[in-house]
Amino acid sequence: MQAIQVENLSKTFRVKRKEKGMRGSVKAIFHPQTEEIRAVNGVSFSVPEGEILAFIGPNGAGKSTTIKMLTGILYPDGGRVEVLGVDPTKQRRQLAYQIGTVFGQKEQLWTHLTPHDNFRFFGAIYDLTERETEVRIDELSERFALKDFIDIPVRNLSLGQRIRCEMVVALIHKPKVLFLDEPTIGLDPVVKENVRELVKQMNREEHTTIFLTSHDVGDIEKLCRRIIIVNDGRIVMDDSVEHLKSHYPHKQAADIVEQDRGNEAAGSGDISDASLEDIIVEIYKSQGEE
Amino acid sequence: MLTAVKNQMRVCLLSIKYNVMREMVNKVTFLTNVGFMVLNNASFLVQWMILFRLRGEVGGYTFREIMLLWGLVAASFGLSHILFARVFSLPDLIINGKLDAYLVQPKNVLVGVITSSTDVSAIGDFLYGIAIAAICGPGVGGFILFLLFTVTGAVVFTAFALLLGSLSFWFVRMDMLQNQMVMGIVSFGTYPDGIFKGVSRFLLYFIIPVGMAVWYPVHVIVRFDAEMFFTVAGYAALLSAMSVAVFYRGLRRYASGNLMVARM
Repeated sequence: MQAIQVENLSKTFRVKRKEKGMRGSVKAIFHPQTEEIRAVNGVSFSVPEGEILAFIGPNGAGKSTTIKMLTGILYPDGGRVEVLGVDPTKQRRQLAYQIGTVFGQKEQLWTHLTPHDNFRFFGAIYDLTERETEVRIDELSERFALKDFIDIPVRNLSLGQRIRCEMVVALIHKPKVLFLDEPTIGLDPVVKENVRELVKQMNREEHTTIFLTSHDVGDIEKLCRRIIIVNDGRIVMDDSVEHLKSHYPHKQAADIVEQDRGNEAAGSGDISDASLEDIIVEIYKSQGEE
Repeated sequence: MLTAVKNQMRVCLLSIKYNVMREMVNKVTFLTNVGFMVLNNASFLVQWMILFRLRGEVGGYTFREIMLLWGLVAASFGLSHILFARVFSLPDLIINGKLDAYLVQPKNVLVGVITSSTDVSAIGDFLYGIAIAAICGPGVGGFILFLLFTVTGAVVFTAFALLLGSLSFWFVRMDMLQNQMVMGIVSFGTYPDGIFKGVSRFLLYFIIPVGMAVWYPVHVIVRFDAEMFFTVAGYAALLSAMSVAVFYRGLRRYASGNLMVARM
């Protein structure tokens, strides 16, 4: 069964344009100029239950806008979305009981409260009884190793500790789909590895579908089997990570590897030597040139 | 349905409890904020005491009625800022894409947003208003009416702020207009309505809802009038319905954002 189904999804933002300086500001009062930016442009894909999908692209490609439409934060201008058989625009609350979200750049936690108080609050938000909440807190704090700082106010925690708490909040109600928007941003390599291991564990043990956006190739390589690359609001590639690594036909990826090694005979390198990061960079570049 | 309401109430009460807990982290600041707000309000009464020594009445109001105006404005303003403080910063949440966290929760977005913050100094306003009513209110019936109108006044304050704040879905910098219009209720509401004539009176009854938040209620407390009573209740309900409709209409235009945000 498909956990996520998206057909021809579109979203346009209207942004203001203003000429530079005070003169431009005054002019904008009398002659306001706006421009339409198509953030997502006819995107279609589906994600089967239990899959870990990487949804990546350069800055401004439309990743976050797509994830926000899937979670009911933004209303699409066109197309159809179904997450677990629910339309986020019409049944946002019903959907919210079944999904979890971690936005690496937006904290949900109350910073003056301890993680434990935060978890109790979010347990109430998902209508768990106090007993159910405590049982789940025990289970997750064990799994995410929170015991040492569960009673320290969030504002005094390190970024890595906070992200682990954010993940517990997202998982407190046992969601079937977990949306992770750059969950490892700003984390050190050890904490990143820790977070990845926990995500993998959630997927393995609770069969949680994971929808991941990240600029960190390590996240993608270590977690995902499938990768969707978006650019300029469109899907430019939908493939398995393995297939992409072994069959990416663009010769330049091999060139990059050779250039990096300082080999004068650029272009003669073996494609299998190209890292996933090289290939992704090459795809971004080739899309940018079109 | 009943369970959903019960669960929503549980979250609201937890939210208010946690907000007060946050403010009480620093006990000295907490008590100072509350205490100074009471003193600040009380200082204005001195002006009126001096004025009423010179004149018997101002704009058709006696000193006791002026006290009721002050009490009702303070208590209503206080109650709305204790329970729904975030509505007064709604433009910031909309413009800077801070509604995301509420939109992914399985609860009413609007209730979640507006109950997510408490203005601690408003506790001082509220206590001051209630104390004034206890001192100046016309008996038990008058005090009960005062409490009732504190609720309708808080509803009018909140709904008016919600209506203006929701316009941020369409226009930028609505925060200034929202702030000035809401403070307009406070500023004008502490003067007797008899001194306003013509256009200004029209504006204060039909554009800035001072009449329905403060003046009508005080008239009813002083001399009960069923028609005025139901007009105030009806107005509060109508304004609430309208502002909620505008908020949800605007929510469809919500554009979120990518600013780094922490829940403070």
